[in-house]
Amino acid sequence: RRKALNLFFVDSDLSSSKMSVRVLNPNAEVLNKTAALHMTINAAKGLQDVLKSNLGPKGTIKMLVGGSGDIKLTKDGNTLLKEMQIQNPTAIMIARTAVAQDDISGDGTTSTVIFIGELMKQSERCIDEGMHPRVLVDGFEIAKRATLQFLDTFKTPVVMGDEPDKEILKMVARTTLRTKLYEGLADQLTDIVVNSVLCIRKPEEPIDLFMVEIMHMRHKFDVDTRLVEGLVLDHGSRHPDMKRRAENCHILTCNVSLEYEKSEINAGFFYSNAEQREAMVTAERRSVDERVKKIIELKNKVCAGNDNSFVIINQKGIDPPSLDLLAREGIIALRRAKRRNMERLVLACGGEAVNSVDDLTPDSLGWAGLVYEHVLGEEKYTFVEQVKNPHSCTILIKGPNDHTIAQIKDAVRDGLRSVKNTLEDECVVLGAGAFEVAARQHLINEVKKTVKGRAQLGVEAFANALLVVPKTLAENAGLDTQDVIISLTSEHDKGNVVGVSLVDGEPIDPQLAGIFDNYSVKRQLINSGPVIASQLLLVDEVIRAGRNMRKPT
Amino acid sequence: MTMSMQPYGIQSMLKEGYRHLSGLDEAVIKNIEACKELSTITRTSLGPNGMNKMVINHLDKLFVTNDAATIVNELEIQHPAAKILVLAAKAQQEEIGDGANLTISFAGELLQNAEELIRMGLHPSEIICGYNKAIIKVVEVLEQLVESGSETMDVRSKDEVVSRMRAAVASKQFGQEEIICSLVADACIQVCPKNPTNFNVDNVRVAKLLGGGLHNSCIVRGMVLKSDAVGSIKRMEKAKVAVFAGGVDTTATETKGTVLIHSAEQLENYAKTEEAKVEELIKAVAESGAKVIVSGGSVGEMALHFCERYKIMVLKISSKFELRRFCRAAGAVAHLKLSRPSPDDLGYVDSISVEEIGGVTVTIARNEQGGNSISTVVLRGSTDSILDDLERAVDDGVNTYKAMCRDSRIVPGAAATEIELAQRLKEYANAETGLDKYAISKYAESFEFVPKTLADNAGLNAMEIIASLYTGHGSGNTKLGIDLEEGACKDVSETKVWDLFATKLFALKYASDAACTVLRVDQIIMAKQAGGPRRDAAAAAGAGAEED
Repeated sequence: RRKALNLFFVDSDLSSSKMSVRVLNPNAEVLNKTAALHMTINAAKGLQDVLKSNLGPKGTIKMLVGGSGDIKLTKDGNTLLKEMQIQNPTAIMIARTAVAQDDISGDGTTSTVIFIGELMKQSERCIDEGMHPRVLVDGFEIAKRATLQFLDTFKTPVVMGDEPDKEILKMVARTTLRTKLYEGLADQLTDIVVNSVLCIRKPEEPIDLFMVEIMHMRHKFDVDTRLVEGLVLDHGSRHPDMKRRAENCHILTCNVSLEYEKSEINAGFFYSNAEQREAMVTAERRSVDERVKKIIELKNKVCAGNDNSFVIINQKGIDPPSLDLLAREGIIALRRAKRRNMERLVLACGGEAVNSVDDLTPDSLGWAGLVYEHVLGEEKYTFVEQVKNPHSCTILIKGPNDHTIAQIKDAVRDGLRSVKNTLEDECVVLGAGAFEVAARQHLINEVKKTVKGRAQLGVEAFANALLVVPKTLAENAGLDTQDVIISLTSEHDKGNVVGVSLVDGEPIDPQLAGIFDNYSVKRQLINSGPVIASQLLLVDEVIRAGRNMRKPT
Repeated sequence: MTMSMQPYGIQSMLKEGYRHLSGLDEAVIKNIEACKELSTITRTSLGPNGMNKMVINHLDKLFVTNDAATIVNELEIQHPAAKILVLAAKAQQEEIGDGANLTISFAGELLQNAEELIRMGLHPSEIICGYNKAIIKVVEVLEQLVESGSETMDVRSKDEVVSRMRAAVASKQFGQEEIICSLVADACIQVCPKNPTNFNVDNVRVAKLLGGGLHNSCIVRGMVLKSDAVGSIKRMEKAKVAVFAGGVDTTATETKGTVLIHSAEQLENYAKTEEAKVEELIKAVAESGAKVIVSGGSVGEMALHFCERYKIMVLKISSKFELRRFCRAAGAVAHLKLSRPSPDDLGYVDSISVEEIGGVTVTIARNEQGGNSISTVVLRGSTDSILDDLERAVDDGVNTYKAMCRDSRIVPGAAATEIELAQRLKEYANAETGLDKYAISKYAESFEFVPKTLADNAGLNAMEIIASLYTGHGSGNTKLGIDLEEGACKDVSETKVWDLFATKLFALKYASDAACTVLRVDQIIMAKQAGGPRRDAAAAAGAGAEED
């Protein structure tokens, strides 16, 4: 029902434009010219204000309370924007850009929002001085292209051959994680995240992050989070007499229904005495029983003469009589596994997923050194561990309560993405605000001079807006923003590439401190920020039919 | 009509009914106040002389208890910050099963002190930093305070178990701890498996029977079922037991069956074949030696008739979980369908009998000899709420047993540990430079609330007690605690008040985690309260999960 029209060349007569809409819809509301521009600018600044305090390792946490009283704690801009139900049309547009940022690169949402906010803020100053938005927009476009070119010269290439440089991956992961979690936990997760991505990485194939299972348990403390080389399933066997722990297991991954299924047609049995009925009862189950027997035959084949165990993980169901048969043979059977887990199991344990029991061979079996069940209250977890050269693994998140777990989960997801990005980009960008300051210097000193006319001011506004990242970082760390920016720019003028240290506000070399950002994150940020800011600047009329735009007071 | 002035800031961007709180005054201080309120409620229930609370929950159920976990559970806390403390208490309850009150009260105390620091001008992040340093130090000191020689214990020795359990139970049922401890210890030791770390709290059952008094409570080696036997045979001695999970009745096909009858004779014959079939099955069971049949489902009239004829006692346990426990108690393997059980699958009970206790018909299955893995504490009391409270005390005791099976280390109780921690932390704070110093020394001060509350609740002069405790600890007596009966300070090795190391460690860690989380939050965005019966829906979902 909302409409933000991108009309620029409209009749400037206020009343007539208002009238024309009124004629069409008497309930519509119209915002014109300056009012519209200010509304969008205010909204952008407002959103920036909210997210500003989240940025960087020293950012604070926001608490979101849902409609049913559930608590969520987050520092992640993306989560925040998703949970906070925004209504203002401009804010929604910015939020969508941020969400797109997250979809593409997995990080940098907060930066996007504050960058757009800052672009709008800088533009406001120029517009108040009488500049036309269109000129600014032209300047933005030039600056954007120049910055992207600069980014390509500024980036630090990393060679990602068969043996990727683990240290650099760790640094990137650490930089991302530290902005989401407190330091101690972030450092611990860094290793987990890097190792898990390297575990699922196959040469010549794109990385599928879904092959890293993220499982959570409400148990102990957040620092008990660990990487399981193998798989953790969030269900257990449904038979009381099945083994809870087995070593040296053959694993059969299958998608075979081991339960009685009703026929599609409406069938009925007719019998005239109890014996006949007994016969029917056995006949009814025969086909299921035969399938179970085939599995048991295979088990006897591979487990004869040794004390190996046999585990079935089935995507379909296994009914109690079948479970009973399997349990009596000492087989562990899990039913109704997730489809994704079937893929992961094959990658982790080897073997192949079978869809029929007709041609079972020992080759289709996987192998795990240890399978055991862990019970937490009413939840059961099955661990499949000690597998041979796995290509799938599980990050087991632990925490005392749901909000801690959710927080870690979001962070882990971002961490995984950052490692994946690095592997794919094959380059990184110096962090801690170093890139932003360098890009600004480049724009002011080099690019601005090549631009003719008033578009220069747009380039300048863009350059100054870039500084918002180091500024906010410093502000959140309780440092003096002006001091920090001045010391940074003067170092850059001397030709030193430095970032800001959040401990004391002194310039540091991000390379030595190990602070690296993803290339694709920065690229996306610089690409999308100015586009949305330009669009918003060119809005001169907001028409809204129906309800009032403001809350009824 | 004009919209020239849009409201500025976030509030204008949110949906109607959303609230947004931010900044020190609006968010942090308000949060702390809510947490303080909560901890004042629970605090008076701390310790043996703690007061009871009467809580009436949304279902009009009355609770009279001083168990903090129950209180906060039934209070249905709405405030988000206070909820974080509740979650911490719940985590403690799930992990250890005791010490929930310490968690909430201590977190409340930490936050109260943090508020003072904030008013002094410290930034919350500096306080968090100090508190984090403090908790690391606390863990270190706590490990030094462990009573030497307590690392190993014989989990089957009743004296050792009782000495570790007493403090936990006494804080719930002061004055009756001796009786309860001995009951719980007996029950636990009996079901303790070969490897004590595998102890399962589920194996100690509690049966609450109205009437009598605590002195009439006893332990049953086996199970107490609150139901009658199905048939007329009510007692069986030294019997083999066959368990059928699917019910004792004629078999049925999954597909709908129809009996096809052409003549009157066939009708007669059908009933006969049916009868013959059931008789054959029951006879097979009887021949296998089983004298008791336990059914997980319905028991058919005809099957029952034949059971009576073959002198088989029939029990019905409809809960799947209860049936599994029964299997464990009797050492039986459940069969799905009525069939001839193999001798290995039969269980054994010494006696199984239907008795009437306090007007309730119960079936008691006993297994006096070893190899038994279930024991039941039969609690007697005059009212339901007393029974509920006794049950919670027993639960705490059992949980403590589980915790001590895993980690048997103990630390002095009766506030001795807290004072010692406070003292050491203060020394540590003095050695520290920088702003952390203030936070750490406040953290140390927070420990004082334990002796203070214990003394207050017992009607003693708190300041005097704390002062003399400090003097004692200052002169090197690390085990000086409060003796609540005499109202003086005494060495805990005399009064024998010991707390489990694990309980204390987890409670303190969860508390400071929760306090730091509350301090870290500087903005709250609250959605409009969703309408509808939330709690009931959640309860129904929970009940559904139980049914499996």
